[in-house]
Parts: sequence; C-alpha cells; structure tokens
Amino acid sequence: MRKLIVGLVALAAVATAGASYAATSIGSGTVTLTLWHNYGTSGNTTATVSLAKAFEKTHPGITIKVVSQPTANYFSLLQAASISKTGPDISVQWTGLFDLKYEKFLLNLKPYFSAAEMAKINAVRYMAPNFNPAKGLLVMPLENQFYMGFYNKALFKKAGVKAVPRTWSGLFAACTKLKAAGITPMVYGADEQGIQSSPYPWYDMSYLMAGVLTPAQWKGLYTGSILWTSPKVVAQLTKWTSLPKKGCTNTDVLTKQNIVGAFTKGEAAMISDGSWDAPTYQKAMGKNVAPFALPFTNSGKNVTQYAGDGFSVMNYSKHQPEAVQFLKFVMSGPAQKIIAAAGLIPNVKGYRTKSPIQNEMLALAAKQGYAPYPMLDNVVQGEVVTAGSKQLDAAFGGDITPLAAAKSLKAALDALPASRKGPVYSG
Amino acid sequence: MHCPRAARDPSTAAETLKSDGRRPSPQEAASCGWTGRGGLPRDPLAVRRRRAGIVFTLPVVTLVGILLLYPIAQTVYHSFTVWDGITSHWVGTATYSQLFAKPEFVQVLENNALLVLSIPVAIALPLGVAFLIQSKLRGWRFFRSVFFLPTAVSWVVIAYVAIRFFADDGILQHLLNGVGLGFWHPNMLSNERSALIAVMITFVWSMFGTNLIIFLAGMATVDQELYDAARVDGAGSFTVLTKITIPLLRRFIQFAFIVTLIAAFTALFSLIFVMTSGGPGYGTTTLEFFIYEQAFQTGDFGLASTAGVILFLAVAAVGLMQLRFFKGED
Repeated sequence: MRKLIVGLVALAAVATAGASYAATSIGSGTVTLTLWHNYGTSGNTTATVSLAKAFEKTHPGITIKVVSQPTANYFSLLQAASISKTGPDISVQWTGLFDLKYEKFLLNLKPYFSAAEMAKINAVRYMAPNFNPAKGLLVMPLENQFYMGFYNKALFKKAGVKAVPRTWSGLFAACTKLKAAGITPMVYGADEQGIQSSPYPWYDMSYLMAGVLTPAQWKGLYTGSILWTSPKVVAQLTKWTSLPKKGCTNTDVLTKQNIVGAFTKGEAAMISDGSWDAPTYQKAMGKNVAPFALPFTNSGKNVTQYAGDGFSVMNYSKHQPEAVQFLKFVMSGPAQKIIAAAGLIPNVKGYRTKSPIQNEMLALAAKQGYAPYPMLDNVVQGEVVTAGSKQLDAAFGGDITPLAAAKSLKAALDALPASRKGPVYSG
Repeated sequence: MHCPRAARDPSTAAETLKSDGRRPSPQEAASCGWTGRGGLPRDPLAVRRRRAGIVFTLPVVTLVGILLLYPIAQTVYHSFTVWDGITSHWVGTATYSQLFAKPEFVQVLENNALLVLSIPVAIALPLGVAFLIQSKLRGWRFFRSVFFLPTAVSWVVIAYVAIRFFADDGILQHLLNGVGLGFWHPNMLSNERSALIAVMITFVWSMFGTNLIIFLAGMATVDQELYDAARVDGAGSFTVLTKITIPLLRRFIQFAFIVTLIAAFTALFSLIFVMTSGGPGYGTTTLEFFIYEQAFQTGDFGLASTAGVILFLAVAAVGLMQLRFFKGED
C-alpha cells in the first residue's frame, strides 16, 4: 500500500511538472504561441500562415502554432475553451459587435498601441470597446473586406448582358436574359468553408439595408428606433425573396453545397460572397471573373467595405507580451506586404493589394462614388444575427413570408435588455 | 421484562425467535439490547456485509454524484440565473418566463413533440421485421446484418447519407424520376415541415438496427412450445404476433421505447447539426439543439440551463407516462 501511495504521488508530480512544462514552453528559451483561426483554405489562411512564418524569422525565441478550427462552430469552440482558460494565445476575431461579445476574453491593447499607431488603422472604431477608440483596441485587423458579388464574364457575354447590374431593375433584366440563355443567374447555398450549412444571408442583408438606409441610420436597427418590420425593410426583403421564385437562382437555394466550386465551374453567372474568396476565384477563373457591388438597391450607390476580421490576444494567455509582439508585427510594413501578396486588401493606411480583382473592386467603389457601409452582421446584435440566419433563409426558401422573418428579427431585438440596444454599442 | 437466556447470544437469537414463531416486543428487544431491524438482535456478519456493501458502492456513488448529480443540481441552479459562462446572478423564474415568451421556443417544443410521434414507428417497424426474421424466412441471416448496419454507423455519416438522399438532385429525386414522378420535386430539406419529416425518417432508420436486435433477443427468450401450441390450435402469423409475441415482449418493447425516446431527445444533435443545422428557420431545431445554440452561439448559458431543465422534465414526463402505461398492462 505504501509503495502504491508513493507511486501515485510520484506520478502526480511528474504529470504536474509535464503539464506545466507543456503550458509554458517547448524547448529551452522558446515560447510557443497558439493561434486559432476559422479561415478554412481561403486567402486569409495563406496570409496567416505566411505572417506566422515571417514573424518566427524575425523573432527567434517565439514560434507560432497555427490551428485551423472549423468555421461553422469556431466561436462555440473558442468560447468554451476560453471559459476554461484552455484556449489559444491569439485568436481570429470578427470585429464590431462580435468582438464586443467576446470582450471579456480579450486583452485590451491600449497600453501597447499609441494613438498614432491606431490612427493608421482604417475604421479603427469597429475594433474598439463600445466602438470608441479612446477606450482601447481589441482586434488588430488582418484585412479590409468587401461583401460583394462576382460575375462570370463569359456567361454574361453569352446571354447578352452588357451592363453589370447596379440596381434591382438591372438585376432583373440580367436575370431574364441569363434565364433565356439557359444560364442560372445566381447561385445560392452553402460552402464547405461556410459559416453555416445553408446560405449566410447577411451578405445580401447588408446590401438590402444599405439600399434603403444611410450608414448613420443603421444605428436605428441596433437601437430599435428603425423597426425590422418597417415597410421599407419588408419591401426590400420581399424583392429579395422573389429572386428564387422568379428563377433568378438555383432551385435548391437552401440545400445546395459547394457553391464556390459551382460558380468557378460556370454553373451560374453570379454569386454573392466576400472578398476573402477573391484569390480563389482569381486562381480558378483568371480574367473571366470580375467583381460587382450587389445590386439590391434602386440607387446603385452602396458598397459594404469593412475590416471584418483580425487577431486578438486572449486575456488568459500566459504569453501576452509575445502575443502582442505578433500583433505589432501584423501592423508592420513587411507584414502588410505579405497580406497584399496573399491577395487580400491591407487595412493599414498606405498599403495596397496586389490582387487584380480586389483592385478592380476598390477602383469601382472609389470611382463610381459608392457610399461605404460596415457589414450589417457586425453592427447588429448577435441574437438578431442568429435569428436572421435562420429566418431570412426560411423566407428566401419560400417557407415563411418576408414579414414573418422581419418579425423574428424584431422579436430577437425586443427580447434584449435595454443595455444591449442603447445609444452606446455594447456586446 | 428479562431477556430470555436462549436469546442472549446474537448469533442464535434470530433462530430461537423464529422457532417460537413470533417477533420480539419492543420491551423484550430493549431488555436484550437488540437494536437490529425489526427489533431483532444485530447480526455482526450482516452489519459487516452492509458496511462492505456501502464501501464498495462508494466509488460509484461518488462518481455519479460528481459527474451526474452535481452538474444536474448546478443546471437547475443556473436555470434561475443570468449566466454568461463566467459570472451569474440570480433572477428567479424570469428566465423561464423569458424562454416561454420566445416564439421559436414554442416551435422547438412542437418539433420535439412531433419527434415523439416517430417513436411508435421506430418501434413497430423493427418489431415486425424481427418477427419475420424470427420466422426464419429465406435469407434472414443476410437481412439481419443489413438491418443492423445503421447502428454501426456514426450519426455524422448517417447525416451525410441523408443529405445525399433528400437533396434536390439526390437519390430520392432520382428514384422519383425513375418511376415517372420526376415532375414532383419534394426537396424535403428546404421546407420546415418536410425537413423535420426527413429528420424523423432518418432517425427511424438509424434506430432500426438497435431496436431490431433488442426484439430478436427478446424473441429468443420466448418458449418455442408456445408458438407450436398456437399453430396446433390454428393461430395464423398475425394472431401469433399479437397474442403471443407482443405480450411476451412487453419488457423488451418498454426498453426499446426508453432507448428510442432518449435518443430522440438527446442523441440527435450531431445528426441535426450536419443535416440541417436546425433549419430551415427553426424547422428542425430540437430542444437539445436549441440548448447548444443558446449556450455556445448566443453565449446565454443561463437560458440554455433553463431549456436543459425543460428537456429533463420532458424526458422524465414521457418516460413516466410510458411506465404507467405498461404498468397498467401488467
């Protein structure tokens, strides 16, 4: 018995020592940081891995273990790991209300970044507590993004579509021509790297709301002063949900999988997506693909341009100084060039992307006088986004009416406490 | 009152009293110093056995307590709190009011109720097939293996097979095309009600093998002579099934019901996660999926706990109902 007790004590001591060793360092003098991302195989992954490698070269004592987590339940995993303080040192975060939701797990970077440095970051307010840069910085953005459409030039030409649609009427006209030519106008569904196993409706929703509200008015959707059930919102939803009914989309909008693959194979003329997939399209389709702003508007003057994601240091990390060094590195010139080389749009002022398709979109947004909007799902409450992700899909599939979907969004907002829909943005 | 001499020795006292054919009165037990059950003398061996029993069950009791009872108690406590996973504060029954005020929660309860309706099908079908297999129809060994196959496949694989089957251009559609019904596009996963039916069909299929084996095992315990006697009396297959097999399998049916019920309420998460993600809308969101969404997508662990308590009560209620039903039959 005595031997057994001694053995157990020794085993426990070894296990404790081993765990402690594993948690702090691998190899003498080397700190290993763990970085979680949910980028799948998109251009963002290329950039992240390249950034980590470049950082390791310039910081010999630090290595970064890049871990790809599943996109669909990334935040569930991160939250669960963070509650038990077993999560990564650095995590990919979505900006806006997403990072405010997880603010309790994030290190405020205010002590590490000067006001001058923060001023170099585009739209820095969306990475700050309460959207107020004076309160600090929670996320170092990786890139500037667009929710956007991509179209297949050859299919447009084949159907005789000469002008890229910028408004509802232009879209319906193009849709008629494409259908007549036997081409599916738009492809909807899910992608292997998608946020959910059905279409993510907030790409379109951003343009739908930009079509009827100014950027400043979007705050009304957050506070409830503009109702989700207001006639102009419902009117937009009604037009949008008519797309499948009018044959402007594939028939299986809710269940189709791998839509990125379908678009690159020429199965449809247009797709609603984001700039992070631009490198994929560019690689697969070359000059046959071009970007456009989703035309869910009568004015044709809106674009969703926003730094939607980036890196955060977890406040429970045991290697916060080293993790902050990585974020500082991301902001540096060499890192911004790596981001550009991966086909993404750098979000630090003074740097440009090398991607032709991204540059085309940037030029489009600048020269044609589009008003930039943030991404709607980043500036309305997570509960509303969750409800919308389900009910807007149901409406798009013809299962419920647009008004019923709008009522679900309103109900989700109504159920929130006043502190979550007040004048100050709060997670 | 004095203690009888013959009863003073604890090891023989019980026998002495038994031979007298009586139980000691309280006064008699007190005068003899008997403190055992029923006023009998305390048997040292029985005491040691009882103590040993307690010691041997302690590890299991501790494990069950830590891993099951404590979390259940915690869940009940947190169901009355607002809890973000880190900090919580007590709000009483407000979370219950909030939960039932959610229109989607009512739909979630409806979905679970509809899932319960699939349980009789998940019982009756394998019961019928088990009866046919038990009758040693030609190829019964082959069919027994084939029918058991889904049980050996993970829910995730089953879900992917189901997606391929029910998809707009999937196997079901090809079958319809093959029989000249190609004009009908059920596309079951794209509609709230039909998606739930697709989930129910998949669930029944996936439980088929488990229940089949339960019933085959049960049928193996039935005395063959009963069947022979029934046949001699001129009973047909249907009469044998309804008058002999089913009544004698009551306990096995009860067990299959419980297993299927628990699976329907608490084991479909991965199937739904992969197959429909709870959609379209809330069409296939069940209580367990709703709990996941509230806790891990919305971060509202308090409300998730509340829904967890509701799920616990729902399973307990249906389980008790069926126990009562079968007890009545007994």
